[in-house]
Amino acid sequence: MNGPTEEQPREQPSSPFEGALIRLRAREPEDEQLLFTWFNDPEVTEFLGGERYPISRATQREFLARPGPNYESAGFAVETLADRRLIGGVDLRTSDPANRSATLGIAIGDKTCWDGGYGTDTMRTVCRFGFEVMNLHRIQLTTSAANLRARRVYEKVGFREEGILRDDRFTRGRYFDTVVMGLLEGELR
Amino acid sequence: MVARRSPFEGDLVRLRAHESEDIPIAHSWFNDAEVRQYLGRQYPFSIAAVRERAMGQPEYKHALFAVETLLDGRLIGDVGLFAAYPEARAATLGIQIGDKSCWDGGYGTDTMRTVCRFGFEMMNLHRIELDVYAENARARHVYEKIGFRLEGCRRDAIFKYGRYHDLLVMALLEGELR
Repeated sequence: MNGPTEEQPREQPSSPFEGALIRLRAREPEDEQLLFTWFNDPEVTEFLGGERYPISRATQREFLARPGPNYESAGFAVETLADRRLIGGVDLRTSDPANRSATLGIAIGDKTCWDGGYGTDTMRTVCRFGFEVMNLHRIQLTTSAANLRARRVYEKVGFREEGILRDDRFTRGRYFDTVVMGLLEGELR
Repeated sequence: MVARRSPFEGDLVRLRAHESEDIPIAHSWFNDAEVRQYLGRQYPFSIAAVRERAMGQPEYKHALFAVETLLDGRLIGDVGLFAAYPEARAATLGIQIGDKSCWDGGYGTDTMRTVCRFGFEMMNLHRIELDVYAENARARHVYEKIGFRLEGCRRDAIFKYGRYHDLLVMALLEGELR
């Protein structure tokens, strides 16, 4: 042992899966119907990355059958703490573990939860999971420059804007810039 | 200014991926009682088993390298960082210098330093752990010299040559490599 071995009062361990409003859990086959509905709702998918075409039930089922969550693909269903209602999903994906870097994706599919702090709490909870459980050094994401609500949330929890990809995405008849944002360990608020 | 030193090279040795030409040589080492004395496995190795172990592309979960001399590119052993956990940033080290003419010539020490440097600088590890037979004084001396600390003893953990042997657990944290 190094130095004095004075007994430190132990902090009450809070669940690494839980925030103030939501809980992260593994995805289940029973989630299919809600996810299928959300990912075919253009209002939900407007600012998501790849969801340009309608998706089939089979595609949705296949997605839910993937292994995980694990270090390579830490994907979660998001449910409310109050009544365990499924409201969305969030993912941290890593490629080369030496970099300790993950890419974050989030969707709050339940529109009654928009503007209620659920997205912010989901972001904080998954980032805390990334740093405290996965031992990540960096979490990055991209979002449409037009997605002002999301950008405000990301900045609020500590993400910094790192770059703009001009005319990166074409949808609904025009091009949109993509904003690259990053959060390093120690920066989560 | 960080020296632009090859992450694969030490003073005496170079780490590289295995090639199929290495298999017969590695196979002879794996079946040599003197080389095997302090290694884990006890049953004879087939050519196929040696090939299967060696021929995977080195990657995070199984970073196994052939060790060759810098001087003449001669294969002298192998070394690996295995079963790395990205959450703990910890891996387990295994080494063998199969070419007995290289024993006591600093090749083991240089191989250890080179692979540990690779682990810290290229794989971003925090901890490198190994097991060593308690009676393997030569190896323990090398590990201690480069910074490994003794952390514990797994009593009677191995049965070999008709009796039990203690295994010592040693580990090196980032910043401790000498």
